[in-house]
Amino acid sequence: METGFLKEQKILESENSVDFLMNWFRKRSIFVLAYGTGCGAIEMPPTFTSRYDAERLGIRGSATPRQADVIIVSGYCSYKTLRRIIRTYEQMSNPKYVLALGSCTINGGMYWDSYNTIKKLEDYLPVDMYVNGCMPRPESILEGFIQLQKDIGDGKASSWELYEKNYDFYRKNQEAILGKVVEPSYEADWYLYDGGL
Amino acid sequence: MFDSIKNNFATFDVEVKRDDLYKVEVNKDRVFELIDFIGNNYEYQTLNAITCTDWIEDEHFSITYMLTSLDRKHTFMVQTTINRNKAKIKSLTDRFAQAEIMERDLAEMYGIDFIGNNNLKELSLENWIHTPPLRREFDTLEFVNEHLTFREGRDDNVDTKAEAKRLRALKKAQKEAEKKAKEEANGK
Amino acid sequence: MILLELFATLVIAYSFGFLYYGLYRNITARFQLRFGPPVYQSFMDSIKFFLKKDTTNHGWMFYLGPIIMMSGAIMTLFFIPLFTTGNDFKGLSEYGNLFLVLYLLVLGPLGNALAVGAGGNPFGAMGITRGLTRLFALEMPFYIAVIALMSLNSSADITTIASSQTTFNAFAYPLLFVGALFSFVGMMGQSPFDVVGAPVEVYSGPASEFSGKFLALLMSQSAIFTFAKLVLMVHLFLGGASGFVELTIKTFILFFFIIAFGAIYGRFKTPQSVDFLLKVPTAISVVGLLLATWSA
Repeated sequence: METGFLKEQKILESENSVDFLMNWFRKRSIFVLAYGTGCGAIEMPPTFTSRYDAERLGIRGSATPRQADVIIVSGYCSYKTLRRIIRTYEQMSNPKYVLALGSCTINGGMYWDSYNTIKKLEDYLPVDMYVNGCMPRPESILEGFIQLQKDIGDGKASSWELYEKNYDFYRKNQEAILGKVVEPSYEADWYLYDGGL
Repeated sequence: MFDSIKNNFATFDVEVKRDDLYKVEVNKDRVFELIDFIGNNYEYQTLNAITCTDWIEDEHFSITYMLTSLDRKHTFMVQTTINRNKAKIKSLTDRFAQAEIMERDLAEMYGIDFIGNNNLKELSLENWIHTPPLRREFDTLEFVNEHLTFREGRDDNVDTKAEAKRLRALKKAQKEAEKKAKEEANGK
Repeated sequence: MILLELFATLVIAYSFGFLYYGLYRNITARFQLRFGPPVYQSFMDSIKFFLKKDTTNHGWMFYLGPIIMMSGAIMTLFFIPLFTTGNDFKGLSEYGNLFLVLYLLVLGPLGNALAVGAGGNPFGAMGITRGLTRLFALEMPFYIAVIALMSLNSSADITTIASSQTTFNAFAYPLLFVGALFSFVGMMGQSPFDVVGAPVEVYSGPASEFSGKFLALLMSQSAIFTFAKLVLMVHLFLGGASGFVELTIKTFILFFFIIAFGAIYGRFKTPQSVDFLLKVPTAISVVGLLLATWSA
């Protein structure tokens, strides 16, 4: 399996003042999708509420992927979750950023020998910022957001362009794990206790 | 109670494991009669769990039904053994409704076929085509090394002192090479 | 000349609406013992949505929905005069009276309903049915209070109603004011009547399929509508305004009271809010109407 494009990620920089202004607006208001993918989601509510207030930086929660800028992949991704994350990521509108929390996205973490989780998130989704820890504390997550804001302001956070350009690479890795049909089946009936699936 | 069980169902002795836990082992054909017997006569009327243990050396699965009496706060474990290669046993869903999900979990993780349970779909895995993962012949580390890759440059079991010495020597060699190149450029 | 005044009205409404929305976030944050975002945060939110590179579209009706909402908001704004004394900044209020303004207040949810129906998201449909149900209940106390005021002054012109107050209508007819205030809380989107925009409950309700420039239009029209409704309430109940300073102070006091009310209370479900609004505030308004017109 080929490996990712970490070295090539920071290739686009702001060139003129219009780009600078656009990036300035984008970095001052960030909408984070309210989706807790793994056990790192336990550290997201303290970050966004009263004690470690993330709203000072302009960061707000958003309920649908159509309105979100950032998706936080917080922790391990089993195959089932990865399918839904990919579909949610593709529903968001450009420009969009991925923040990966925890050591499970870096090298497998605590579940390094599990048969059902992925070890390296970069092969399946392009990542802008890693925050390590297990789980990272709210101070670490805020530091990650500030660094992400600096990268957006300089024009370096361009993973969404990489996803479009190298879509075949990502799709090949996704299909190797998830089978030919990557999208989940949406025939669940909400009134049955397990969706009828 | 112990004598009536031992005489009627030809089991081993009923073990008293704790002051709120009994355990008995019985043949596969008489399991459901025994469950009915202790349920009707001795009030063990709640099915708590169905679990399975893989005895790969003795080549059988051992299925345990845990029945609880909520009034007396007492649990009774009923164990049977089934074959390991073509594992099937009759299902308990007509007596206990919660057995449906418990048997679904076991069918997915061990590959046991429960006859009579018509909802044996996948519960936690999705589109799993390899061997059932909780069997002991499934080697998870080999599976992981075959299908997934780790990030390079982060090896385990590296002696930190030796590694630090190596990095320092590398840096020193690099600095000396730069100094030499500068002297040559100045000398020219 | 009048076009310049209309354009200035629009700019004032746009900036005041967004600044008030930023103030709302700041004040709510301080109720919750934290600092909030800077006051100009809402400007940056809406401009960021304009700068998104692609948007999802679901057909021509989906495209038309935010445009209907925006034009409804702007028209409502133009038919409400900013000042009630003097001759400046009257808007188009001599061509349309209070009946027209009340009719135009409904255009917001209507445009939203048309667009969401074309979008096809089930959460959007759920949110918009809740919104229209709640709107039906919100209108009752407000319209009874407004009808009482219109019959007392024998005219449907906002300027006449506002300038014929010797003491404020809020203190002369307190029951009417209380009845109208209940439904005004719901119109501003505050608790306890804010089940429509409940962000985690129905996945942000009616706005759940809009992204990018549509969402920016929605936020802008919400700001303009907020300012228009505040000015309307000030003219009807708090004596009108004759200068910018007086207008700012009166709208700010009313707005602050509404925010404080909303920050404290929890949220009613839709049948609970319809039940409450059709019983208690309507009764208060009707009693106020009878008392006011009997003695006149």
